[in-house]
Amino acid sequence: MRTWARPTAVLAVVAAVALSGCGRDSGDNGTDDAAQPISEGKASGEITVWAMGTEGEKLAAFAADFMKENPDATVKVTPIPWDGAHDKIATAIAGGQTPDLSLIGTTWMGEFARTGGLDQLPTDLVKEGDFFPGAWDTAVVDGKAYGVPWYVETRLFYVNKDVAAKAGVTAPPKTWEELTAAISAFKQKGGATWGVSLQPGGTGSWQTVMPFVWQNGGEVTNADAFSFDSPQVSDALGYYESFFDAGLAPKDLPQGQLEPDFVKGSIGAFISGPWHIGILEGQGGAGKYDVWHMPSRKAATSFVGGGDLAVFKDAKNRDGAWKFVSWLSQPQTQVKWYQATSDLPAVKAGWDDPALTGDPMLAAFGDQLSDAKSPPAIGTWDQVAAAFDAEIERLVKTDETAADAAKAIQQKAATIGTGI
Amino acid sequence: MKRRRDRNAAIVLHTVLIAGLAIMIAPFVWMVLSSFKGEGEVRRTPPTWLPADPTLANYRELFERLDFPLYFTNSVIVAVLVTVGNLLICSATGYALAKLRFLGRRALFVLVLGNLMVPPMATFVPQFVLVSNLGLVNTFAGLVLPNLALAVNVFLMRQFILSIPDDLLESARVDGAGEWRIYWRIVLPLTGPALATVGILTFLGSWNNFLWPLVVATTEDKYTLPVALALYSVGQNQTQYGLLLAGSVTIILPILVIFAVLQRHFVRGIATTGLK
Repeated sequence: MRTWARPTAVLAVVAAVALSGCGRDSGDNGTDDAAQPISEGKASGEITVWAMGTEGEKLAAFAADFMKENPDATVKVTPIPWDGAHDKIATAIAGGQTPDLSLIGTTWMGEFARTGGLDQLPTDLVKEGDFFPGAWDTAVVDGKAYGVPWYVETRLFYVNKDVAAKAGVTAPPKTWEELTAAISAFKQKGGATWGVSLQPGGTGSWQTVMPFVWQNGGEVTNADAFSFDSPQVSDALGYYESFFDAGLAPKDLPQGQLEPDFVKGSIGAFISGPWHIGILEGQGGAGKYDVWHMPSRKAATSFVGGGDLAVFKDAKNRDGAWKFVSWLSQPQTQVKWYQATSDLPAVKAGWDDPALTGDPMLAAFGDQLSDAKSPPAIGTWDQVAAAFDAEIERLVKTDETAADAAKAIQQKAATIGTGI
Repeated sequence: MKRRRDRNAAIVLHTVLIAGLAIMIAPFVWMVLSSFKGEGEVRRTPPTWLPADPTLANYRELFERLDFPLYFTNSVIVAVLVTVGNLLICSATGYALAKLRFLGRRALFVLVLGNLMVPPMATFVPQFVLVSNLGLVNTFAGLVLPNLALAVNVFLMRQFILSIPDDLLESARVDGAGEWRIYWRIVLPLTGPALATVGILTFLGSWNNFLWPLVVATTEDKYTLPVALALYSVGQNQTQYGLLLAGSVTIILPILVIFAVLQRHFVRGIATTGLK
């Protein structure tokens, strides 16, 4: 009897501790207070940083220059995998075990800022106007900035040169009608089995669909409510669907088939970001393609993604962390970072450097970045995006109409809420 | 006549079994072969079997970019501690729940069953907060403790120990053996197959565990293999399949070796208990 009294007592303690720990989130909601300034002078002390993938791998050595300029500061970088990074950061915030700052996926900012995990961007640390506006908006939650964009990417049309030449398409299409005509010509005259490959639903397809919505004047939210159920959105969905209905885009393309088929010319075009330059090179596609700016309806908007830098509420070295962020945002640092990692600068001035202006392919991405958007930083975006993706799949693969899809997305999104 | 029918049956049986085996190991074989292919060939459709241009580049990149011995050692430490802990604690608890009479036994068993029914994701964050409040974040204790005695293993051991005849334990008691001695000398040796099952499943679970070590280890030096291998293969917008496959092969290899070495013992364990 005595021997078993103890484990039960331990269990009681466990439950109590766990419950008290959980209460944290509701307790300190950090979105109300104002941004605090940081101290003057050089950074000092240890600055702990989390960064994912290549960024995490390269940043430790890269920070040596910062430590030279700030001899009293040491930057300690822990690389973490992209796979699971969201859960790791979310759990760390809940457990009060965050580093000083971290790389944050652009679409996670709303969630982490709203749970009170992020520190507000200190006033006058950086200038908003220095950054691409679409990228800057990813770090703004409820009108307040919680970080700065570190690097960016945007989406363009990759077009097979041979197919385009055979189809007689000599200039990038300027409008939706011209785009449809060009893609049809790829199939009819250019020898491509599929004029274009567009994501037929599935994870992340919203990143390909939303640009068309934005081009048509549609928005994710209007004031504080979702605005998917609008003619602008349903027209854009209808336009997206038209490529599948006309047999110009495949509804089921096995993973991994896109690149080889594109290089062969059996797929005429697809939409993707700058990382595909490297992938296509690995598949023998270098020099065989062009990139096109998005077509215009009311605007010629594309999607902007990338990564933001944010400092946590629980940071032990808040001032040092923000000073490191400020250093990473300087144009010359951004150019050097591009040279180390191929991450595209989020700071506009970085693009004036010969390292970037010399490459016409990159220039095209830079051009698109001045008209690129991301969804507003709402706390529930991941869930809304999943609902959106599922509805795109139904739109493409069943006989659901665009208007019904827009209604369904609106309904699901409204049920999920914006998290405000 | 009868013999021929037996032989036909054997042929059919073997054909079915071989087909089943082929279906099951085909992806595995493809994974191993493809880990020696370049990125372009891995993505080729239709997929190829033998690498057209065999390369060790994936493995070289994996070992160059990762401090492999460190992560491997971490994984072994965690997996061994968790497995040993589960074998000892869960069999002792299982024995107590199955054979000893004490106040609150039923309540405790219900608690164990209840534990089984709560989805792990529901307790994930509270568990991390708890470990964090105990000051165990980024320690081996934090990696090992929460998994040291899993409810499913307690349940498994209890059910198995129930089948040991009470008379056997009574006669030991008559001979003057204490509970510890009975547990150690009689119960444990009789639960070989159950221990083997618990051991394998726990080791595998710990070895492949990704999310818990990812969250608890806040600096690289405490990363386990699955966390480290995910570092560079899966990017923000693209996956390096060659690297991913090489990593998967590397992580499975030690498990395969353990199975190959210990398999005979498991089989013998099951066979001998049948004789007793």
